[in-house]
Amino acid sequence: MLLMRLVTVAMCLFVALPLAWLVYAAFIPAEALVRANLATFGFSLENFAALANSGLWRALAISFTASGLAVLAQLTFGLGAAYAIRNGARLLGLVLVLLALPSELLLVPLYRQLQTLLLIDTLWALVVPFLASPLVVFLLLQALRRLPWELVEAARLDGASEPLILARVVAPIVRPELLAAAVLAFAAHWNLVLYPRVMTTEALWTVQVFLTDLLRTRPFEWGLLGAAALVASTPIMILYLVFEKRIVATFEAGFRS
Amino acid sequence: MRARRQAWWLGLPATLVFVVFSLVPLLSVARYATWRWSGTAEPISIGSANLARLVRDEALWQSLGTTLLFGLIVLPAFLALSLAVALAIEGLRVERFVKALLFAPGLVTVGGSAIAWYLLYDPDFGVMVELTGLRLPWTSQPGAALLFVVLFTLWQQTGYGVLVMSAALRGIPREVKEAARIDGAHEGELRRFVIVPLLRPTLAFLTIVGSVLALQSYTAVYLLTRGGPFGSTRVLGYYLYEVAFERFELGYGAAITLFVLVFTLIVAVAQARVLVGRGVRGAH
Repeated sequence: MLLMRLVTVAMCLFVALPLAWLVYAAFIPAEALVRANLATFGFSLENFAALANSGLWRALAISFTASGLAVLAQLTFGLGAAYAIRNGARLLGLVLVLLALPSELLLVPLYRQLQTLLLIDTLWALVVPFLASPLVVFLLLQALRRLPWELVEAARLDGASEPLILARVVAPIVRPELLAAAVLAFAAHWNLVLYPRVMTTEALWTVQVFLTDLLRTRPFEWGLLGAAALVASTPIMILYLVFEKRIVATFEAGFRS
Repeated sequence: MRARRQAWWLGLPATLVFVVFSLVPLLSVARYATWRWSGTAEPISIGSANLARLVRDEALWQSLGTTLLFGLIVLPAFLALSLAVALAIEGLRVERFVKALLFAPGLVTVGGSAIAWYLLYDPDFGVMVELTGLRLPWTSQPGAALLFVVLFTLWQQTGYGVLVMSAALRGIPREVKEAARIDGAHEGELRRFVIVPLLRPTLAFLTIVGSVLALQSYTAVYLLTRGGPFGSTRVLGYYLYEVAFERFELGYGAAITLFVLVFTLIVAVAQARVLVGRGVRGAH
C-alpha cells in the first residue's frame, strides 16, 4: 500500500509539473526571458497581447467552425444510428470495427477520396469525413439501452412518426449523454493534428497545426508559446469543467455494459 | 414492425458517412497500393512493385520493431499505473482531486501539451536546463528519445485508465470484501486474491484501449521527435505519414497502410485469444 501511495504521489507530481510550468510561462514578462533569471520573473499579460497578430485567432475561428459543425452532425446522425441499432438494424459490427481502427490507416485513402470529391484543401475536408463518429454512436447506444422502451412503444401507439419520437421523446431523455458525447467528440476533433496538416494548407490551419508551427518557428519564446497553448486549451477546459460529472458518469456507464 | 423499419432509415446518414469516408477508402487502399503516385499528379499503375518493396524496406521493419517495443513498454506501465493509483486512492478524501489532476493533461489540447513538455524538458531551450543544468538527452540519444515519447504518452493517458479502473473498483460489491475479511484475509491478500481477479475484465478492456493508443502514438512522435534521432522513434504510423506526406510517395504509403492494417488485425486476434482464454479460466 505504501508503494502504491508513493507511486500515486510521484504520478501526481509528474503530471502537474508540465502543466504548472505551462501556466506560469504564459504570464512571464518577455524581458525576464532575455535575462533568463528567475528573480526577475514577474506577472504580465504581454504574451497574450503579442498573440494578436500571430494568426492564432484565425486558427481558433477555423477550429471552432469545423469542430462545431462536425459535433452537431455527429450528435444528430449518431442518435439516429443508435436508435436504428436499438430497433434491430445491423450496424453495430461496423461501428465497433471502426471504433478499433487506428486513425492513421485512413490518411492516405481519405486523401484520395477527398481529392476525387474536390474537397481537398477546403474547410469541408475538416468536416465532411467527421459527420458521423463511431464513438458517439456507441456512447448513445449505451444510453438508449437504459431507456425505458415503453415510452417509445406508447408514442408509437399514439401514432407518432419515428423521427418525431426520436426528436421529442428519446432526445430529451438522453440529453445528459448527448452533452457528454458532445464534449468528448468536440475534444477529439479539436485535437486532430496530422489530419488537418495533411488535408489543408496554411489558409485553413487549425489551432493544432498553428501550435506545432509556432513551436518550430519561435522555440525560444516561452511566454508566447505558453500563452498560445493556454488560449488553445480553454474551450476544452471550459466544456469539461461545466460537464465534468456528466462525462465521468457516461464513461462509467458506457464501460459497465 | 413497420415502425422498426421506419426507424432504420434514421441510421442511414451515419451509415453513409461511415461507408463513404471509412469503409470505401479502406477497401480502396489495396488498389492505391499498386500506384506510383505523388499526390498531385495522376497516379501510374506499377503492379505489385510497392508490395515487393515492403519486404525489402529495412526502415519499415525497424519501425515495426519500434512500435512493438513502444507497446511493450507503454501497455504494462499504463495498466500497472492505473491499477496502483486507483487502489491507492480508493475511498480517500483526495480521490476526486487526484483523478481530476491526472485527467487534466487530456484537457490541455495536444499541441499545447507538446509545448508544455518542450518548455520544461527541451535540452536547448527548456527551463529544466536553464535552472538546474540538467540536460535531458532525448533529442540526441535513441533510447532516451523513445523513453521520452513513452513518458509523454503515459502522462497523457494514465488519467483515463485510473478513471476506468476506479469505476470498476466501485462496482465491486462491499459484501464480497467483507466476506473475505471475515474469512481472515488481511488487506494485501484481499487485494491480491479477491479484488485484482475481479478486475480482470477491466484490465482486458484497458489492454484493448491501450493497444489502440499505442498504435496511434504517431501524433506524439510527430509533436515531440519527428521520428528522430536516427529513426529511433519512428513508429509505424509515423513512418506511414512520413513516406506519404513528407516524401510524397502516396502509393507506397498505401502499401504501408495495408501492412499496418494486417499488423493491427494480428494484434487484435492475438489479444482476443489471450483475453478470452484468460476470461474463461478466471470464470472457473
